[in-house]
Amino acid sequence: MSVSEAAPGLARGSAPGQTARPRRSRLARRRRRAGILLSLPAVIVVVALLGIPIGQAVYYSMTNWNGLTAQWIGPSTYTTALSDPIFWRVLENNGLLLLSIPFAIGIPLAIAALLNEHVHGWRFFRSVYFLPTAVSWVVIGMVAVQFFALNGLLNKLLAAVGLGSVQTNLLAGQRTALLALAITFIWSMLGTNTIIFLTGMATLDPTLLEAARVDGLKRRQIFFRVTLPLLKRFVQFSFVITVISAFSALFSLIFVMTNGGPGFGTTTLEFFVYQSAFSLGQFGTGALYGIILFVIMIVVGLVQLRLIRSEDGEGW
Amino acid sequence: MAADSLTTAGPAPGSGAPGSGGAPAKRALRARRRGRIGLIFAVMSVIAVVMLYPFWYILNNAFRNQSQFARQSGHSGVSWGQLFSELPVGRELVNSTVICVASILLILAVSTTAGFAFAKLRYRGSGLLFLGVVAALMVPLQSIIIPEYVNLGKLGLINTYLGAILVYVALGTPFATFLMATYYRGISDDLIEAAVMDGLGYERTFLRIALPLSWPAIATVTVLQFIQIWDDLLVGLLFLQNPEQRTITVGLAALSAGRTTSIPVLMAGSFISAVPAIVVYLIFQRYLVRGLTLGMGK
Repeated sequence: MSVSEAAPGLARGSAPGQTARPRRSRLARRRRRAGILLSLPAVIVVVALLGIPIGQAVYYSMTNWNGLTAQWIGPSTYTTALSDPIFWRVLENNGLLLLSIPFAIGIPLAIAALLNEHVHGWRFFRSVYFLPTAVSWVVIGMVAVQFFALNGLLNKLLAAVGLGSVQTNLLAGQRTALLALAITFIWSMLGTNTIIFLTGMATLDPTLLEAARVDGLKRRQIFFRVTLPLLKRFVQFSFVITVISAFSALFSLIFVMTNGGPGFGTTTLEFFVYQSAFSLGQFGTGALYGIILFVIMIVVGLVQLRLIRSEDGEGW
Repeated sequence: MAADSLTTAGPAPGSGAPGSGGAPAKRALRARRRGRIGLIFAVMSVIAVVMLYPFWYILNNAFRNQSQFARQSGHSGVSWGQLFSELPVGRELVNSTVICVASILLILAVSTTAGFAFAKLRYRGSGLLFLGVVAALMVPLQSIIIPEYVNLGKLGLINTYLGAILVYVALGTPFATFLMATYYRGISDDLIEAAVMDGLGYERTFLRIALPLSWPAIATVTVLQFIQIWDDLLVGLLFLQNPEQRTITVGLAALSAGRTTSIPVLMAGSFISAVPAIVVYLIFQRYLVRGLTLGMGK
């Protein structure tokens, strides 16, 4: 290698003077080599275990592969899949689950505001609220099944407030099972989102809130007019995390609570991928749904990026 | 309220009210404030009950037999014996531990080195590679699971620890690399350059200077990944179908899917599977919180 091949980063830092150059450039070469060497393993992992499989999935999605024999069909598999009413039923479930997001964000906002009052013992409560984050959704799902069961706590509570007549096993009906899933999902997200908002509130400038108070704003006004706008970044972040979870992290919960049923009542797109491929042996179709899921995730990511760029010009 | 609790740091009364009214007015204000604090405390307690209910339910019902469960009264230790005969608990705890530890070590090896390189040893194209690695965060497991299953199957890695470990490493690497790079960016360039000038070389500078400095980020990655991998179902379900290699979470889900096991037995199993993750959480809470919010890196 010659001096002229030195890394581009060298030019700005290179000292004037003849004697310094060879030493600096040898160092730059070593620096470049070390950089490539150290970053290589991560790049290999990502390419081999994430990048290539995504490419393969696109290919598989255009075949009618059943695990044994594969036949190339082409992009028409997508039009076939999109005309399947079950696919739309599944996507509808995903859409309905999105309705839980205002609750999965709004309730933690309120909880974080309470914690942020720093009443005696708030640290203890913070730990308690965050505790479920450590527990597998397999475990949470098993308890949830008992909670919603006919002789479970939910019906006992309903009876206690005089609503004994509406006794019902939510998991037995298609729509109600989805509701039960959504409630469990909201509960599971409370800890994570509360912590995000609490962290956000800790970054707020106290003098700003003090000023609002001196100006005569009521507590509620301060929250909605000062605190909330300042927390925008944190709300957006938790929104993305919550949407991603709703679309791609509910597998364990569904597996344990309903196994996708009754009927297709709680089958979401991610669960449909699993069912198609590993229960029905339609690997091609499963891969196709996986790609659609991926596209949805990308759209969510881009929308998010767009929101940030357009509103304040500085991203995170 | 948020403002005054922050500025006065505690319930010191009347510290910031310039020229306010007489003693009675102050006393009324204090009473109102105390009532408000009481109300907040009460609401927080109710929420705590809601969040802790599953834990209470698990413990309460794990110590029941089938008929005690049906009656919801009385306690016994019968289901624990049953659990150990239906589920190879010890074996599965070992499996979970081995898979967690190996995956985390690999993720750390790959992400600390790459994070350091992307932050401190930038070369032509490294920015693009970093973007690619971080963009891989958006790939949902379900989108790649079928090809992954096929590829690892061809390599004979289904139902081996290594197969599952590779998938966990793939899923953990993008975020871990992002986190490490963010952390290393905060270390001064001068420190690194000085070490290199002292003749340590870049590789040894990383090992002896940067790596020890980055232990908080390493702790964050470790806790996040431990909880994620310990609690995971889908990967284990597909890549560890053999009861011999199953993790505790997968074993538990399989037991529950059978629908023949009694609820108290499942609750006993839930308890055992949840304890390690909760212990890790309680010890390393700080780092878990940091990891969650570091996603927003300022």
